[in-house]
Parts: sequence; structure tokens; C-alpha cells
Amino acid sequence: MTEIADAVDVVLVDDHHMFRTGVKASLDGGVNVVGEADTVDGAIALVHELRPPVVLLDVHLPGGDGGGGAEVLRGCADLLATTRFLALSVSDASEDVVAVIRAGARGYVTKAIDGPALSDAVRRVAGGDAVFSPRLAGFVLDAFGAAAGDVATGDDELDRLSAREREVMRLIARGYSYREVAAELFISIKTVETHVSAVLRKLQLSSRHELTRWAAARRLL
Amino acid sequence: MNPAVPADASPLAARLPLRRPTQGRWIAGVAVGVAAHLDVQVKWVRLAFVLAAPISGIGVALYVFWWLAVPVGDPADAAASARPTALSRLARPQSSDQPGRPWPVTDVAVGALLVLLAVVLVAVRADQVQLQWVLPALLVLTGLGLAWSQLDAVQRGRLRRRAGGRTPVSVLRLLGGVLLAGVGVLLLVGQGTGETVEPGALVQSFVASIAVLGGVALVLAPWWIRLVRELGDERAARARESERADIAAHLHDSVLQTLALIRSRADDPAEVARMARAQERELREWLYDDRPAPGTSIAAALRGIVAEIEDSRSGPSGDAVTIETVVVGDHVPDAGTEALLQATREALVNAVVHGRPPVSLYLEVGPAMVEVFVRDHGEGFDLDAVGPDRFGVRESIIGRVRRRGGEATVVCRPGRGTEVHLTVPVGAEPDDDGSSAETDPSNNRGANEG
Repeated sequence: MTEIADAVDVVLVDDHHMFRTGVKASLDGGVNVVGEADTVDGAIALVHELRPPVVLLDVHLPGGDGGGGAEVLRGCADLLATTRFLALSVSDASEDVVAVIRAGARGYVTKAIDGPALSDAVRRVAGGDAVFSPRLAGFVLDAFGAAAGDVATGDDELDRLSAREREVMRLIARGYSYREVAAELFISIKTVETHVSAVLRKLQLSSRHELTRWAAARRLL
Repeated sequence: MNPAVPADASPLAARLPLRRPTQGRWIAGVAVGVAAHLDVQVKWVRLAFVLAAPISGIGVALYVFWWLAVPVGDPADAAASARPTALSRLARPQSSDQPGRPWPVTDVAVGALLVLLAVVLVAVRADQVQLQWVLPALLVLTGLGLAWSQLDAVQRGRLRRRAGGRTPVSVLRLLGGVLLAGVGVLLLVGQGTGETVEPGALVQSFVASIAVLGGVALVLAPWWIRLVRELGDERAARARESERADIAAHLHDSVLQTLALIRSRADDPAEVARMARAQERELREWLYDDRPAPGTSIAAALRGIVAEIEDSRSGPSGDAVTIETVVVGDHVPDAGTEALLQATREALVNAVVHGRPPVSLYLEVGPAMVEVFVRDHGEGFDLDAVGPDRFGVRESIIGRVRRRGGEATVVCRPGRGTEVHLTVPVGAEPDDDGSSAETDPSNNRGANEG
């Protein structure tokens, strides 16, 4: 593997050895796997020891109190300012994904993602941006009732998306990359990233009651 | 043809069952649970309890009643477990519980304090200082409360793990309750017989023994109730488990068959990819999705369409296709959405066969309309340049949607792929014409691909 000077150090947390091997093989030279863990407790200890800039975190993990990836995030809550977590999941179940995001993950991608896209997502998270897959954007639109036209009027409102954020989320859900979203809305990529980060913040801070209800309703469908 | 369905008749509006969550509670989680049940903010419920408290204690009484009567649990989990197993996801969701208290320190402290109080009372009585009836009565009440509080099944899961369901904590509660109630009852009965021997001493002692027995029975009742309740839970859990086992067996069969097929056709990469994708989809659906009852969800119908296309179609170079599907909201199907889904199907086939991957599909159910976006990264096609012989696009996508009062547009941008945008109104009265065009999509399918 060719080393690049400013490669991003990553700790890989997943309980499947085959998957870890596959991820390591698919990441490009700009991402450097410095450690691996396969349980909740092992992950918390390793992240505290290595303090990597980015952790690739599986949502479903054995060990601990059964809380999986979200529990790792809670265990590493003191490091969230310096270490950023990117959730990887095979499940796609809304409540699992929302649980890790609300525990502090900076993004969510499915395990079906290809190597270049994953490396790109890692760099993006390392740079402080949020990574939203189309699926996660769909969750957000659903959770905030944006599809029903429930749109925030003020900037400081945590429980609803602003009209622009809703537009960005809809485009991402339709399969647009950040670059394509920027071109479509005639804004810069940086502005798109700002909107996405704002949505991530709302997802993390919005009143728990609403989201709980939403997750339950999803399961009632 | 379904009648118009109001937007809030969707399953999303279902009400959560009444449970006392362990998170966000101040005292026993009653207010949080009621708030989740009524879908109001918890601060209003708390305010209501506080305001109702001075009105002859209604607030307090209600709170205590719900504390005893409402079982502990996550309302969302309770709602989910009420679903039929065959329609529920198999994989357990991540528990979002914070690590629980291992030992209810406050409960034990309050119990010990009350027992201490009882001892002090007895000591005071021994000094012949007459106390009011209130205090013994208070003691009886708190004793009962302590004993009944074992109905508060915070540790239910932990209890069930142990065979007998007996933990030091519940035994402690019971003993403390019996002690308190016993002391209280004795004080009450002894109140009259303190100094002189009454003529009706016999009656007195009879009353006293009845009172003691009654007190003990009251104290033991919750124990018995809990046993009965656990038995019922146990039975329901066993029924669920056997259902799950059936589903798991079915799943394992299908996975094994697919693996055998893949091994026998290992020389055909496209076919292997297709089978793996189909199996992945099926597993994912069984494990992580709750399935709606048939015919009640356009999201499920859409997933069926995507599955059919992924299974039966190949990309331009003969490789297997994957359609990234995102669905927001859901609705009961009606004639309009039926037409929309058929048009979506044609658009997807077009994108898969003539476009370039990745293909994205987005469906959003709004209050007034259902929108679908089908996007691929191909060069696209100019709608006006599509000849009248290409009956497929014109008729099967655009015409079909327009007849239901919807709209269809195709946007092609160089380098940014092609996007088909379809909308139909929901809940509106569908036109009565054109219903025959929806029923048979197979006529124009050939033309579409030609």
C-alpha cells in the first residue's frame, strides 16, 4: 500500500474478521488502519489508547451491555471532540442508525459501499463534515416529518428542518452527490456541507420524545 | 378502488401503549409514559400532575395509581412487540438503555427509614405518650405501599432470568412491608385497649386478628399478582419464540439453497451477483424490516417492484443491477398510487436497461401528493425526440400518470444523468377513465425496451 504523507489514521471496529479484511483491502492509500477491535469493551479501550482521528464503527457489536455501536460512542463520549465516528451498518434499520447518530456518530454508510467511496467518506468525516447516505437522508426526512411539509421557520428550531435543509436532504435521498446537490441548488459545496452538518446537529439534539415516537411508528408500519 | 384516505389515517398516527420508560423519569416515569401515550410534551403532563395535586390530591392519587398499574417498559418496544411475529423484524434493535442501576439504593433507604420510624413509634408508645390515629394509619399505608411497589417491575428482565423470580430486593420489600403493616395494625388495634380491660375484649381481639390477617393478605396480594402476571408473560414469550424459530428455519433453508445455486453456477459472475443480491434483499427484509400486512403499503409494493426488476433485468452490458431505494412515508395504495407504481416500474426498467448505473429510486409520500424520482447516470433521452413508435415511455410512464391527475417530467443533464420525476395526488378522487390502462402493463413493455 502506498503511504501518503497526510494519510488519515483509522481504527476499524467490527466483529466480523472477514469484513475487516475486506475493508482494509478496499481502502485507498490515503486511509491508514492503525488498529482493530471486535467488541464494545475492546473498542472503547483501543480508541482511548490510540485516539485516532476517525473510527469506523459497526452498529451491531457484541460485548458490553448489548448497546452495540451506540454504547461504544457513549463510552468514548470524552473523546468526541477529537475523534470522529463514522457508523457502518449492514442493517439499515432506522432505529439502529438513529441511535448511533444520536450517540454522536458523524455519519452513516452501509456496508455495501465501495472502497473509493468509503475512503472518501473517511476523509470527509476527518475534515469535520457529516456523511449522509441516501438512506440516512431518507430517515431524516421521515423523522422530522419533512415530507408532510413540516418546515422550520426560525434558524434555532431543533425539531424541524429548514426549507433549504429539506431540499438538500431530498436531493441526497435521490442519489445526488454533494457536488451534484451544489450544482442543482446553485450553491457551493461548502454550503451543502454546512447544511448537512446542521441537519446532523438537529438529529442529535432534537427532542428525544419525537424521535422515539417516530422510530416506534416506523416499526408499526 | 379505495375511497379517499385522509393523510392521518396512515399507520404513522398509531398511539403508543402506556408504559413507564426508565429513561427521562423524575420519579417513576408516569409522566413520561403518559406524555408518550398522548403524544404531548412531557412538561405539560408534569404541570398537570402538579396542578391537580392540591385538588384533594387527585394528581398524587392518579400518579400513584398509574405507578402501580402501568408496567415499566419502553413504549416503542411495547408497541413493536404487539405486532404479529410473522411481520416483525428478526434482528433485535440496539438497546438504547443507559446502564441501569444495579441496586435500588433509594428504595432500600426509604424502606429502612420507614422501618426505623416504626421502631421509634413503638418506643414512644412504650413511654405512654399517646399519639394520634394518623401515625399508625400512615404506617400501615407506607407498609402496604412498600409491599405493592414490587409490582413496579423495574428489574423484571433481571427477575425473569433467575428461576424463581425471587431477588434479595423483592424479599426485602416484602419483609419491610409486612413489618410496617404489622406494627401499624397492632398500634391501631391497641389504641383502644391501652389502659383498661374492656368487656368486649373478646370482640376486640377478634377484630385485631382479622385486621392482622387482612393486613397480611393485602401485603401478600401483589406477590401473587406478580406470579400470575409472570406466568402469562412467560407463555406469550414461548409462543413468540416458537414462531421465530419457524421463521429462522425458513430463512436458513432459503440461504442454503441460494449458496448451493451460487456454487453450482460459479462460472457466471452476473448470475452469481444477481442471486447474491436477491438473497441479501430477502435476508435484509426478514431481519431488519417490519413488514406491513399485504395490500396496505405502497412502500412494500415498491420494494416488490424493485425486487422483481433486480431479479429479472440486466444492465446494458449484461451485468446484474442494483437499485438504491429510499422511501419516505407510507400510504395505503389507491388507484392513483397504483398507476404511479406501474409508471415507476417502467421508468426503472428504462433506467436499468438503457441508462448507466448507479440507479437511484426515491419515493416520498407528502400530505397532498406522492412523488417518485428515478435517476440513473446515463446520457438520457430527449422526450420530444422520442418517436411516436416508442410507445413505452410516452404512454406507459407519462400517459399513465397524467390520467390520474399527476405529472411526469424527464430531466437530462449532460454529465449528471437522467431523472424521471413522477407525481400523483393522494386522497383525491381518481378519474374514472383509464382504469383499463393500468391493468395490463405487459402490452407496451416490449415496445419500451425495443
